[in-house]
Amino acid sequence: MKSLQVRNLCKAFGGLEVISDLSLSVPEGQRRAVIGPNGAGKTTLFNLITGWESPTSGEILLNGGPLRPGRPDLVARRGLSRSFQKNMQLESLTVFENLRIAAQAFDASRRSFLGSPRDFPDVTRKAHEVAETMNLADCLDKPVRELSYGRKRQLEVAIALCAEPKILLMDEPAAGASPSERSSLIELITRLPTSLTVILVEHDMDVVFSVCDVITVLSYGKVLATGSKDEIQGNPEVIEAYLGKQHA
Amino acid sequence: MIDRTVNEPEVAAVRGSRSDRARVTQLIVAVICIVAIVALPWACGDYGLTLATEIVIAGIFAAGLNVLIGYTGLASAGHAMFVGLGGYGIGIGSAIYGWPLWTSVPVSLVCVAAISAAVGAICTRTRGVEFLLITLAFCQMFFGAAVKLPLTNGTDGMAGIPRPDLSTLGLNSEIPAVFYVYVLTVALASFALLARIVQSPFGSVLVAIRENESRAVAMGYAVGPYKIGAFVLSAVICAVAGVLQAQYTYFINPDAMSWQASGEGILMVVIGGANAVMGPFIGAAVFVLVKQGLSLITSEYNLFFGVFFMLVIAFFRDGIVGTFRTLAGRRP
Repeated sequence: MKSLQVRNLCKAFGGLEVISDLSLSVPEGQRRAVIGPNGAGKTTLFNLITGWESPTSGEILLNGGPLRPGRPDLVARRGLSRSFQKNMQLESLTVFENLRIAAQAFDASRRSFLGSPRDFPDVTRKAHEVAETMNLADCLDKPVRELSYGRKRQLEVAIALCAEPKILLMDEPAAGASPSERSSLIELITRLPTSLTVILVEHDMDVVFSVCDVITVLSYGKVLATGSKDEIQGNPEVIEAYLGKQHA
Repeated sequence: MIDRTVNEPEVAAVRGSRSDRARVTQLIVAVICIVAIVALPWACGDYGLTLATEIVIAGIFAAGLNVLIGYTGLASAGHAMFVGLGGYGIGIGSAIYGWPLWTSVPVSLVCVAAISAAVGAICTRTRGVEFLLITLAFCQMFFGAAVKLPLTNGTDGMAGIPRPDLSTLGLNSEIPAVFYVYVLTVALASFALLARIVQSPFGSVLVAIRENESRAVAMGYAVGPYKIGAFVLSAVICAVAGVLQAQYTYFINPDAMSWQASGEGILMVVIGGANAVMGPFIGAAVFVLVKQGLSLITSEYNLFFGVFFMLVIAFFRDGIVGTFRTLAGRRP
């Protein structure tokens, strides 16, 4: 079953067409990477899929149903969660508070005016589970602003996971991470449930080749190639446009 | 990795002792404050009671405004409009139509809630300077209406606003000490309600919006209704202050909803410290006392108050409560 389908998607900012007649489908449980040079339209594609931008034309379907453009909150509620290229956490709150608020978004308790967070143990449990999964259990009481950059990247993914998504979109999760943090991230992504569809935008080819089954290469807003690691590494157009000889 | 394992218990112990110390400090301060506040009617003369009553009413106004500024990150420059609407509501209901207070006060607050929902639905579509300006514009609109409408008696305002009838309790609210206790009771109920709400899941979403609205949206929150909810809550608490102010002076005029009054609310929040329920109350106390103190010394007290405000901004960036929290080992 096709979990996510993008059909003939176009996005123009004024006269500049950033995404041009782009189509792709991602089946359930697939680990898909979207790679390409800067300005290829990767982040714009993520913004369109997650509702942060409205397409000029085309449609995006999740399990056969269209996603509502311009309403990222509703897209998130449909089971499509994302992490951002830049860290976007609630900086003065603790790691646990970030996770609890994220987990609470899908619980009826989010509308409670007078209840205490302690009254909703399911939310707390979910926040703890995600913290364990993402190796953040040892810093739950730390304010986010005191975390290292790499740990903030981990938290970024953890917040997205709190939504228990069907599809997780990660925008450059390894950007700025140290080699050890990058290895840890690869391990964490590999450990995610196989039912979870993961779509990854990443410049780090070690991460891409380690965790993804299928790779889509974008260039000037169009799909240049889609295929397995070996197919992509052997594609002369991709080598010319993006990978260069060292990854071929 | 090894270091972290070795140091973890020590770090936890240090954090624990800091948090215990902070809790003890907080408890001592709270006990001193409660004793001082309750003992005030017996310890002070009429002038002291007057100041204390003004402080408590201003504290309610600032605490209401702080729901927006401190918890939601929306700085309103027009919230005195709701103080005025609360005052005019009870004035029109009780002084003109002769309704009893148990009718005119709830009707006023419900009307303020409805008006603020409409105003908030428009204002909360903006942020930052735009939000500041649009709230100021609404405030000026209501100010203009209060000046021009025959019902509100223009700049002369409305007199004869009644105080509550407490005779069933054997009390007379015309006595300053009794009125002070009445105001204090309403204030404590308001603070308790606010404390409960800001610590609830709803309150945590407001904090998420303040910290990073885009992240809150990405988490799946439809932030619009939360912001409108915060706006209405804030407005109703400010209207409660307006009702008490009108009862205290038996009078309401358009000055209650002037932009200067809105600005004073912001000053109280900044001085006391946002992000804490009691911060604005402390700010209100400092604001009223410093202003009164300076006015006894010079007629140009506003000039010196400006200097005082600059010093607070320079040395107490998180406000008085925020700074003391930091010193006591808690995060601001």
